[in-house]
Amino acid sequence: MDWFPFLLSAQVATLATGINLIIGIAVGWLLARRSFPARDLLGALVTIPLVLPPTVLGYYLLVALGRTSPIGQALEAVGVPLVFTWRGAVVAAAVSSLPLMVQSCRTAFEGVDPELEQVARTLGRSEWEVFRTITLPLAWRGILAGMILSFARALGDFGATLMVAGNIPGRTQTLAIAVYDAVQANDPTRAGILVAVLSVFGVLTLVAAQQLGRRLAA
Amino acid sequence: MLELEIAHTWPGFQLQLHLTIGTELIVLFGRSGAGKSLTLRAVAGLFHPAFGRIVLNGRVLFDSRSGVNLPPQARRVGYVPQGYALFPHLTVFENVAYGLRGPSKEIHHQVMEWLDQVGLADLAGRRPHQLSGGQQQRVALARALAIQPDVLLLDEPLSALDAPTRSDLQTLIRKLQRQLNIPILFVTHNLAEAVLLADRIAVLEGGRLLQVGPPQEVLHRPARLEVAHLVGVRNLLRGQVRGMDPEGLRLSIGERELRARPNPEAPPLPVGTEILVCIRAEHIAIVRPDRPPPPERENLLEGEIVGEIDYGLAQVLFFRLHGPRLTPERDYDLEIEIPPYVYERLGLDRIRSWTIAIRPESIHWIPWGEGGEGPSAFGPAYPASPIKRDKLR
Repeated sequence: MDWFPFLLSAQVATLATGINLIIGIAVGWLLARRSFPARDLLGALVTIPLVLPPTVLGYYLLVALGRTSPIGQALEAVGVPLVFTWRGAVVAAAVSSLPLMVQSCRTAFEGVDPELEQVARTLGRSEWEVFRTITLPLAWRGILAGMILSFARALGDFGATLMVAGNIPGRTQTLAIAVYDAVQANDPTRAGILVAVLSVFGVLTLVAAQQLGRRLAA
Repeated sequence: MLELEIAHTWPGFQLQLHLTIGTELIVLFGRSGAGKSLTLRAVAGLFHPAFGRIVLNGRVLFDSRSGVNLPPQARRVGYVPQGYALFPHLTVFENVAYGLRGPSKEIHHQVMEWLDQVGLADLAGRRPHQLSGGQQQRVALARALAIQPDVLLLDEPLSALDAPTRSDLQTLIRKLQRQLNIPILFVTHNLAEAVLLADRIAVLEGGRLLQVGPPQEVLHRPARLEVAHLVGVRNLLRGQVRGMDPEGLRLSIGERELRARPNPEAPPLPVGTEILVCIRAEHIAIVRPDRPPPPERENLLEGEIVGEIDYGLAQVLFFRLHGPRLTPERDYDLEIEIPPYVYERLGLDRIRSWTIAIRPESIHWIPWGEGGEGPSAFGPAYPASPIKRDKLR
């Protein structure tokens, strides 16, 4: 049994969730608390990975980050190419799980009574302090639920990851891709183990996210 | 001292007021949607009016002309919104300490002092959800006052509380007001509370300031028809000036002539001038046959009770005059409010014909046309016909 896909997937999903945590909090807060002309557009942009076919998403990333693109060339110049590396898998997993993270953060921030923040301002605290001591602590359960969902989604990404990172055993082969590989190689035992692990983990994360959500509502 | 000048227009609503407040408790009184809360939020810096100027103790907080607009953080304003807005994840102590800076020993000392002031020193470790409504309001007060604000803004602070708790907090607020020596703006739509607490009442309606004055003045000498409605004057009648002399004014309503007190705010009026006559239902007395008042002083009118409503603590009678009527278009002329024991003692449920007495001092009047009148303004405040007691049974 080759354990590499497990380790790689754990690493990719963790990093992707970490990136999404920062983007999710920033964009979720913007969408919940600020009104600006492009708000609906921004909301649509961070949700589009949910509705586009993963291959389309992967294609966009490939074009945007590939060797021929300015970004790709810049990355290559500093020695961290993305395409067909495990870092590409991180980007693909992050983009495809971003909608879940942003939506969770947005809902969590919207659930914080703006009047609490307003009173905190009249008490002399700066905007950042108000965010740190009032908004974030009151929203953290929703954000945590979003992290769990986002992690589970990142762990299971197939299409976009395959397009951007490819299927290189021992280098870019994540769990979901290893399942496909095992089936193609006619190895039902290996496929079965991988599928079982992914499924159990998926159920556990959804249960955890629901419990967090319920405690949030209470 | 707080000088307020605010103007802002929304589709269908305009807020426009000008008010100067000293170290006093001023009640902003009016219906929901009159602009009371908006005014507080403008002072706190949570709402920015299109035009205006807000100056607190010589510090310009907001000035639309010169573009000054201090953020809430820099205004030194104690703001207690409706519903208190306590931080649910912080303890009582942490809530009160939230606006304080400095060495933790100093903060601890100050917080405990304020909690002591509001009577919650032993609950410092509780969370807001473990407190009663009255206790939550006390925490909100302590939190707002701990930053030593230059003005205290209270938005309907007592409206969600039960009567005994409300009364305790009214006492606390009056105690704090004497101690603090800062302007306090207190929003309420409860008339009794406004009269009890206010040094002055500012009556708001539809975003405009209708009258500002001591409670007794607003209660008994409303400057406009809308104020008379808001402060619960139930007999509002259209009349005419018949003559003026040093003792007061002779006026007529329909065919009836009544004596009223002089109105110091009104200029001398020529005979025939249209006026709005205000008589509080509480100020009309039922005359006991064995004890008639001197007729040269009081307005005595004869008539009969045609209906009543029992409010438990008060009995409202609908009274129709014999002879010339005041309001022939309705089937009663005057509303009279008396305590239930008077109703019982005089046997008003059996004996229906009475003489009533109205002192000239109880008849307030304002020139018609200086208070946004018009016959339509009378319409909705009255039931089309009095509710008869037997209909309620």
